[in-house]
Amino acid sequence: MITLRGLTKRFGAATAVDDLTVEIGPGQVTGFLGPNGAGKSTTMRMVLGLDRPTAGQALVNGRPYRELRYPLHEVGALLDATGVHPARSGHAHLRAMARSNGIPARRVDEVLDLVGLDARAAAKPGRALSLGMGQRLGIAGALLGDPPVLLLDEPVNGLDPDGVRWIRRFTRGLADEGRTVLISSHLMSEMQQTADRVVVLGRGRLVADAPLAELIATRPASSVRVRGPEPAGLAALGARLAAEGAAVSPDEGGLAVTGVTAGRVGDLAYELGVRLHELTPVAASLEEAFLELTAGSVEYAAGPTGGETR
Amino acid sequence: MTALPTAVPTRPAPLPAPTSGPFTGAVAAEWTKLWSVRSTWWTLLAAVLTMAATAGQLAIYAVNANTDDDPAVNPGILPVGEVVAGALELTQYVVLAIGLFAITSEYATGTIRTTLRCTPSRARVLAAKAVVVGAVTFLTGLLVGAVGVAVARPVLGEWGRAPLGGTVGDVAASAAYLALVGVLALGLAAALRGAVLTLTVLFALLMIVPLSLQEPGIHVLTRIADAFPGVAGNHFLAGDTEPYPAVVGLLVLAGWAVAALALGRWALRRRDA
Repeated sequence: MITLRGLTKRFGAATAVDDLTVEIGPGQVTGFLGPNGAGKSTTMRMVLGLDRPTAGQALVNGRPYRELRYPLHEVGALLDATGVHPARSGHAHLRAMARSNGIPARRVDEVLDLVGLDARAAAKPGRALSLGMGQRLGIAGALLGDPPVLLLDEPVNGLDPDGVRWIRRFTRGLADEGRTVLISSHLMSEMQQTADRVVVLGRGRLVADAPLAELIATRPASSVRVRGPEPAGLAALGARLAAEGAAVSPDEGGLAVTGVTAGRVGDLAYELGVRLHELTPVAASLEEAFLELTAGSVEYAAGPTGGETR
Repeated sequence: MTALPTAVPTRPAPLPAPTSGPFTGAVAAEWTKLWSVRSTWWTLLAAVLTMAATAGQLAIYAVNANTDDDPAVNPGILPVGEVVAGALELTQYVVLAIGLFAITSEYATGTIRTTLRCTPSRARVLAAKAVVVGAVTFLTGLLVGAVGVAVARPVLGEWGRAPLGGTVGDVAASAAYLALVGVLALGLAAALRGAVLTLTVLFALLMIVPLSLQEPGIHVLTRIADAFPGVAGNHFLAGDTEPYPAVVGLLVLAGWAVAALALGRWALRRRDA
C-alpha cells in the first residue's frame, strides 16, 4: 500500500508534483502514466525517501520510507538508472544490498534465477551490462527482500520485444501474488496491456485515477465508421441515425457515428437500402483517453517542469 | 486485458527476519562495496609505492645533509619514524582517496540512490562508511608505515636508528593520523559531493592555508595555523610539546574529522539524492 497525501515538490519556481493525493493498493498492477516531465519519477523518488517533499507525505505501508529499518523487506524499486557501479559486478552489487538488510546470501542467487540472469551475466561489471540485463538486474534488486510493494520506473524502456513480454508477465505474476505494483510509463499502449488501474499525472497534478476499463469507457468515443459509394444514401442514413439519438459527423468520405452499435447501423442501412462498403466499430484506446486527459497539460510540458531528467 | 484477481493470492514463504541490526548490515554492505571495485586495490598499491618512494627520498636527503661539509645543516642521527611521518605529507593524499571515493563515486555513478534505498537513515549510512573508511585507512596506515620503515632504515644506515618500541609507536601514530584524515575526507565529500571540489578543499585545509599562515612568521597567524588539521596532526606525529601536547594535536585532528562528519550528515539529510 502506497499512500500519497497532498504530496508536493517544487524545484525553485517550478512545481514538479502538485498536491497529489492518491492511494495505491495491493493485488493489482497500477499504471502510473503521464507525459515526460509530468512528475512521475519525482513522485517515485519521494516515495523512496530520496527526494524530500516540499509539502505533504508519501507513506509506504503507513510509514515514511526514511523511517524503515529494513526497507528492502517492505519496498522494492527499479529506478530509471539501475544504480550499479560501472566497475562492480552485478553479483557484488546485489550482495552488498542483501547484507545491508540482513538478507541471506543465497537469496542473491535466487533472485538472479528469478529474473533469468546466469552466473556469467552476474559476474560482469556494471558497465558491460546491456540495457536489458541492467533492467533485469534492477528487478532482481527490487525482489531481494521479497517486498509486498514494488515500484518500477519505466521498466520497459529500451527493452526488446522479448524483454517487454517478460516484464509484462512478471509484473502480472507479482500482482497476482497480492503485491502492490506501481509501474510508471509514458507509453499508454504498454499500460493498456499491463495495468488494472491507472493513475494519470499531467504537469504534476492528478488527472485521473480509475480502473483501466472505466477510463476507456468514460471516453465517449466507441464509434462506428461507415463508408459507402452513395453520398445521398449515406446522408439519409445519417439523418435516420441522428433521429435515433446518435451523434453523426462526416469522416473522410463517410460517417463517424457514436452512440449506437455497428449492428444497428447495418440494420438501418439495410432497411433504407443504402449500400455500404465499410462498417467498422472503432474502440477507444487508452492512448486516446490519455491524450484527451492530458491535453491541457501537454502544451506546457516543454516548460521547465524539472525533475524528470535525472 | 487481464482480469482483476478475485481471491487473495497466497504469497511465497517469507524470508527470515534479519538477525543483525541495520547498522551492522550497513557496515557489511560498505565493506562489500569497497572491496568489490578494483580501484580500491590500486589505491592501496599507489599508497605503498608513494610511501616507499617518498620515505626513500627523505632518507637520502637526511644522509646527504649529514655528510654535508657545513655542520650547521647536519640533522644528526634520525629516528626512522620521523622519516615515515615526513613521507606522510605526500602519502596521505593517496590514502585519503579511500574516504573521498567512498562517497563521491556513489554520486558520480548514481549508486548513492541504491545505497540510500537500502539504508534510508543518512546518519547510519555515513556512520557505517566512517567505520569502514576509518578501519581500512588505519590498516593501510600500518601497512605503509611498515613499508616506510623497511625502505628508510637501510637507506639511513649509520644516520638512522629504529628502536623497536618507538618505531612501532610511530607507525601506529601514522595509522591513526591517516584514519582521521580519511574520515575527514569522507565527511567533506558527503557535504561537497564532487571529488575535485573535495580534494581542492582538503589541499587547502591540510596544506595551502596553514602554510600561508605560517609563512610570514607572525605569532598570531602561526597559532591559527596550529588549529588546522594537518598542522595539528604533524604536532601529534612529531610528539611535540609546543604549542600544545601531542595528544592535543590528535584531539584537534579528531575534532576536524567529527565536524566534517556532522557537516556531511547535515548535507545528506537536507539534499535530494
